[in-house]
Amino acid sequence: MQSNAALEYDYSVAKLFTYTAILFGILGMTIGTLIASQMAFPELNYLFGEYGTFSRLRPVHTTVVVYGFTLSGVWATFYYLGQRVLKVSMAESKFLMFIGKLHFWLYFVGALVATISLLMGITQAKEYAQYEWPIDIVIVIIWVLWGISIFGIIGIRREKSLYISLWYYIACFLGVAMLYLFNNMAVPTYFVSGMGSILHSVSMYSGTNDALVQWWWGHNAVAFVFTVPIVAMIYYFLPKESGQAIYSYKLSLLSFWGLMFVYLWAGSHHLLYSTVPDWMQTMGSIFSVVLILPSWGSAINMLLTMKGEWNQLTENPLIKFMVLASTFYMLSTLEGPIQAIKSVNAIAHFTDWIPGHVHDGVLGWVVFMVMAGLFHMAPRMFKREIYSKKLLEAQFWLQTTAVVLYFTSMWIAGITQGMMWRAVDEYGNLMYSFIDTVAVLHPYYAIRALSGVLYLVGFLMFAYNMIKTMSSSRELTEEPQFRSPMA
Amino acid sequence: MFHWLEKNPFFFAVGVFIVIAFAGLIEILPNFAEASRPVVGLKPRTVLELAGKNIYMKDQCIACHSQLIRPFKSETDRYGQVSLSGEYAYDRPFLWGSKRTGPDLHRVGNYRTTDWHENHMWDPTSVVPQSIMPAYKHMFTNIADIETAYAEAVTVKKVFNTPYDQPNGTKLGTWEEAQKAALEEAKKITADMKNKDVKDAVANGQIPEIVAMIAYLNALK
Amino acid sequence: MNALMIKGLLFAAVLIGATIAVVKSMNIDLSDPINLITMIGAVAIAVLTVGVSIKYINQMKTDKAEGELADENWDGIGEYKNELPAGWAYSFLGTLIWAVWYWFVGYPLNAFSQIGQYNEEVLAYNEKFEEVHKNATPEILKEMGESIFLVQCAPCHGETGDGLSGKAQDFTAGRESKEQVLDIIKNGSDQLKYPMGAMPGGMAQGADAEAIAEYVAGGMKGEQPASFGVCAGCHGADGKGNGGTAPNIVEYDQTLVEHVLENGRKGAIGIMPSFKGRLTPVQQKALATYLGSLK
Ligand code: HEC
Ligand code: HEC
Ligand code: HEC
Ligand code: HEM
Ligand code: HEM
Ligand SMILES: [Ca+2]
Ligand SMILES: [Ca+2]
Ligand SMILES: [Cu+2]
Repeated sequence: MQSNAALEYDYSVAKLFTYTAILFGILGMTIGTLIASQMAFPELNYLFGEYGTFSRLRPVHTTVVVYGFTLSGVWATFYYLGQRVLKVSMAESKFLMFIGKLHFWLYFVGALVATISLLMGITQAKEYAQYEWPIDIVIVIIWVLWGISIFGIIGIRREKSLYISLWYYIACFLGVAMLYLFNNMAVPTYFVSGMGSILHSVSMYSGTNDALVQWWWGHNAVAFVFTVPIVAMIYYFLPKESGQAIYSYKLSLLSFWGLMFVYLWAGSHHLLYSTVPDWMQTMGSIFSVVLILPSWGSAINMLLTMKGEWNQLTENPLIKFMVLASTFYMLSTLEGPIQAIKSVNAIAHFTDWIPGHVHDGVLGWVVFMVMAGLFHMAPRMFKREIYSKKLLEAQFWLQTTAVVLYFTSMWIAGITQGMMWRAVDEYGNLMYSFIDTVAVLHPYYAIRALSGVLYLVGFLMFAYNMIKTMSSSRELTEEPQFRSPMA
Repeated sequence: MFHWLEKNPFFFAVGVFIVIAFAGLIEILPNFAEASRPVVGLKPRTVLELAGKNIYMKDQCIACHSQLIRPFKSETDRYGQVSLSGEYAYDRPFLWGSKRTGPDLHRVGNYRTTDWHENHMWDPTSVVPQSIMPAYKHMFTNIADIETAYAEAVTVKKVFNTPYDQPNGTKLGTWEEAQKAALEEAKKITADMKNKDVKDAVANGQIPEIVAMIAYLNALK
Repeated sequence: MNALMIKGLLFAAVLIGATIAVVKSMNIDLSDPINLITMIGAVAIAVLTVGVSIKYINQMKTDKAEGELADENWDGIGEYKNELPAGWAYSFLGTLIWAVWYWFVGYPLNAFSQIGQYNEEVLAYNEKFEEVHKNATPEILKEMGESIFLVQCAPCHGETGDGLSGKAQDFTAGRESKEQVLDIIKNGSDQLKYPMGAMPGGMAQGADAEAIAEYVAGGMKGEQPASFGVCAGCHGADGKGNGGTAPNIVEYDQTLVEHVLENGRKGAIGIMPSFKGRLTPVQQKALATYLGSLK
């Protein structure tokens, strides 16, 4: 067996995905900030004619951050750490290098086209599955290419047993593959009728069935894009950056298999009090509560990995990012299950409390982890130290403030709105007209818009720091073992 | 056993797949036939309404509006009768939405009218001063894609046996017939509208998006 | 307790406090079971997350990492063979037991119906409603009418009932405007389903029609034009509708509002939708009382 140092890992694909993570991150969050501002100040709807309305932009925001930013992050980290925990370099296989690059370029071009298609209003109108069928086909090909990369590199590995992170990447691959295929099944109308737009299609399922399939996917898009591969990241980057061993194998094991089994049942918590059968709703509700523990298992495992390492927490901003990410992960995986309790969902569903829950997960957990991972990778990929620690620290506090503002404002807005919708006056008549419940939210929408600006500025600081690190920071002669060097 | 799986990636992957596929088999599939049964008297949408639905999708009204009235008194008082599974049997895709930045629209055809929609879609604040809904002025000039709507109707009729052209049901007919029918329907709507350009367009045989949109909104009952 | 824990819980308390304060400021009844459970849920989220995560973060200060390392080592990362944290393991077991209890004992999967629950809710409410409004006074009816109006009618008629500059009936300017009356005289009307049936069009022309319209729109004050006689046949000399056989054209009375809500109406201004089946008799009466008070 070769030693680590003797191996030259090839990071060319990881670097490419790093660039797109930065690019799509900026794009997605700029649009996020714009739509947040539109909810507070509706005049902003008219910046780009029909392409600038809140409704056209909202799906662009969600898909760019999910499929652009997050998946780029997932793949950048996979192409980086996959090689390392398997002790094999991509450069050892011309085939894998080719597949990796093809994976990237097809993805990049596909993502641009897909984004434009949504702006033009070409959409299936199912959340997180908006792209029309030709793009879906490209996505399937991209996914298969990633599969070839994963199993290809595993095929030539030197380290026999798979590291925990790889369990999660494999699960991400399989889960998304299965669910995406099912949910996007559609019949292109042109091929049946011979007329009309060639891009248009109709869903294979109708009504309540369509809803079930959609949220079986929708919920698990959260599970297999926002959770599973992010857990993969923290299991590698936190112990690696801190030099600490994982606290407990047993806890890793139970959390993983528990998460796999339980997550899939919970989709119907998006359909409580809808027209799906009562027993399915109950299943979704119960499994969501059970889900707290497998979710918290990973988070606790990470926090315990840092036992006794308080000084690292205070001195190393990357550790700060990751510990806080764990904490936000705990917050959203407790908040989600509680929102899945029927009585609570009666109020929470359809309100701003849901986007609140979404963003303490994505901003506090997903983005924090992706950024921490990329920061850890940068000195090793570009052989330069991180450009500025000060900037990193400032970014950390700015973005933490932003997340707190985001979720506290939406939490209050959502609960207030949910309760106002059901409030009755002394005569038993509805107390508030719908518009009353909109008008009262203005201050919270304004706070959320502000938090968007702060978070976006933080992300731009990250981008700047990364670009400087790539181009002009002090060069390193030797790869750092654990803690990432920073100026 | 787990340690063994971790050393045998193929079986590991198979294991993960079985564990995650399990829930779907039990939870999703058994209900399929049951949930697609239409309520008595449900008719498929006309071509003009389908064109409106496609504009509803294109402009993503679903970003702010739900179409699902939950069984709470506060919702039925506000929006009307509770939604039933069978009412959605011909909806592809379902358009329940997941966020109510604006009100539910499942039965909006019962309590809003053509002229109101005309005012509201042109400038929501003209009827609801504090509204944060965007104005959709471009719908008054963009022309609706009736052909694709017809293609959709033909497709669902052929592939999913959606009951078009049944006695007492929605007539689809040939493309020429369908065009004529859509225009007739559009004329009835523009009779209640004020916008001159829209009226002229329909008089000249073209159907602006707003007309199809209103046809769809009026049909939500 | 250390400083970190105190700060964390303080944050949770402020968040919860702010939520309750805002909710209360909207006159919301927190004893409603759904509202109550939601607030308890919110408290649980804040307190548990803050409490548990700070407990572990504190261990970073106080504990030391220890345990037996596994054989493997991936890219320099090791793994301890530590046991499961007891709190976590027991909670997991607890939720599993609770789930099984829920399925088979608490709320057996086949025994709950949300529609059933809904029907009970409506029934209970209706009983209470009847009880409370057996003999409502005009003041109460007016107040009740206003609250219904703001929710159901204001989107078209405006919050003050002024019809949003001509987009719907203006209740603050009396009954029908001159244009509306002229339109009806010209075209007649057959929508409201009064015992008298349809009103034929063209019963008055030119200056006569103008004079009648002026007079009706003005609230039938002053000298009655001679030509009004033709209207009086149905609407009564006082315009009040002949005891409910034709519409009251001087004021909004209960019969008129009931007919309009039942049938809707399309006229010179636009279309008024029908509210058939959506409002109870008491609510309709309340609306009539309120509309009557607006002029
Ligand atoms: C930014 C959010 C937003 C978007 C996007 C949006 N709406 Fe709205 N909508 C609202 C709000 C808020 C209201 C309530 C205030 C009002 O009536 O304007 C509303 C009200 C409505 C109503 C009146 C319903 C009622 O019961 O009063 C209709 C009809 C409607 N919208 C249709 C649409 C259509 C069609 C689209 C897409 C083309 C759309 N909306 C897009 C926010 C939105
Ligand atoms: C043959 C009986 C008859 C005569 C004569 C008659 N009306 Fe009417 N009028 C009715 C009936 C019945 C209605 C309700 C019509 C409907 O169902 O829409 C009505 C409706 C109206 C309305 C609309 C009220 C509303 O709220 O919709 C006005 C205004 C009105 N009449 C004015 C007049 C005037 C002015 C004249 C005389 C030129 C007149 N009517 C003559 C029977 C009559
Ligand atoms: C979708 C819009 C809309 C809504 C909602 C609405 N109205 Fe109207 N209403 C109208 C319009 C438009 C007219 C004028 C019709 C005409 O041209 O004569 C009108 C007219 C009326 C009239 C006078 C009719 C007559 O015959 O003189 C009454 C009374 C009335 N509305 C009561 C109500 C009440 C009470 C509610 C709520 C429960 C309500 N409306 C809700 C649009 C609406
Ligand atoms: C234990 C884990 C979780 C459970 C049980 C859970 C539960 C829920 C519930 C009940 C909803 C609201 C459904 C509704 O009423 O509309 C929801 C929405 C959502 N959650 Fe979670 N959640 C969990 C974790 C997470 C995490 C970690 C993230 C992201 C990082 C996340 C992202 C989302 C998103 C994006 C939505 C919005 C879906 C939509 O578009 O409507 N969830 N979740
Ligand atoms: C600058 C930061 C961001 C801001 C200001 C922002 C703002 C918004 C807004 C205003 C909405 C619409 C909410 C509504 O309709 O009520 C939204 C939705 C959403 N955003 Fe963001 N966002 C940001 C970053 C992100 C990131 C980084 C992600 C994912 C990685 C993300 C994922 C989502 C998702 C999944 C939804 C849909 C939620 C739902 O349907 O319930 N956002 N965002
Ligand atoms: Ca798709
Ligand atoms: Ca959503
Ligand atoms: Cu979910």
